[in-house]
Amino acid sequence: MNEPDDTFDEKLKATFDASVDELDAATLSRLNRSRHAALAELQRPRHQWSIWMPATGVAAAIVIAVMVVQIPAGVNELPGTAPVTDMEILLGEDSIEMLEDLEFYSWIDTAEKEGDVG
Amino acid sequence: MDVSTTVFAVSCPGTPITGTRTLQKERQLNQFLAEIERRALRIAEIGVRDRDEALDLVQDAMIKLVRNYSDRSHEEWAPLFYRILQNGVRDWHRRQAVRNRVMVWFGRKSSDDNDYDAIAAAPDPAGRAPDEELQNSEAMQRLEAAVYELPTRQREAFMLRAFEGLDVAGTAVAMGCSQGSVKTHYSRAVHSLRVTLEDHRPEDWGPEGFKR
Repeated sequence: MNEPDDTFDEKLKATFDASVDELDAATLSRLNRSRHAALAELQRPRHQWSIWMPATGVAAAIVIAVMVVQIPAGVNELPGTAPVTDMEILLGEDSIEMLEDLEFYSWIDTAEKEGDVG
Repeated sequence: MDVSTTVFAVSCPGTPITGTRTLQKERQLNQFLAEIERRALRIAEIGVRDRDEALDLVQDAMIKLVRNYSDRSHEEWAPLFYRILQNGVRDWHRRQAVRNRVMVWFGRKSSDDNDYDAIAAAPDPAGRAPDEELQNSEAMQRLEAAVYELPTRQREAFMLRAFEGLDVAGTAVAMGCSQGSVKTHYSRAVHSLRVTLEDHRPEDWGPEGFKR
């Protein structure tokens, strides 16, 4: 028949406590040194950077956010493209037929500048 | 003088803390650590099965407690200390697992602590110590082996509740889980230990643990 858990626990704890009491002097000495090493931390100044770290993080986040917002539109566009101009043409009132002969009008424009036409 | 020193210490965290208040805190911490250190060492030792490693883990836990939580109330220190210590034990096992994998990769024999053989590790009953000491040592060896064989969370719950004497709430803080989980882990641990140690029990329990 099993004994109640409380009694079982107490007996296990008694066995454990006996092993604690039997720790040798060398081990107790090391524990003592460890404790004093830990307590010496109280006299050690805390790092200044740890105080400023939260503020630095917030400032860095703000800078990055501003940079993202301030990047000029069209920086990543391919050279030679003119999206705004295209939109103006598409939305403008000019005849679509003119757009179909765009190469012809482009040639006229070039020729006029060179004085070949007229 | 004392008051101004205390105020200065509180308002200037970048300077070495001095003053009556700090001396009092140091005395409290010293007393707390002195009370807890030997049991903490044995608990860590059962967790890693190596005294030197356990001593290092206890020292690390002491330093981290003082460095990070010395301003907390005295009642919080024990759960916080054991939380740090248990994290250290878990990290140690992770490092050991990685090290063992590397050793296997290079063709060396793994020194996996999970291969621990309680029977092989039992003390030689060749009469090298007085009978009483030997019996107690054998009892602890068996208990230690049985506790080590428990699943990690059960082992933690059992050691913190039974060996260290933390209450359910304190154990929950130390383990970073709910109080319900602590009760479950602890109950299962006690059941497993009862089954395991029943097989090894020579005759009956005595007042100091196994019957002497």
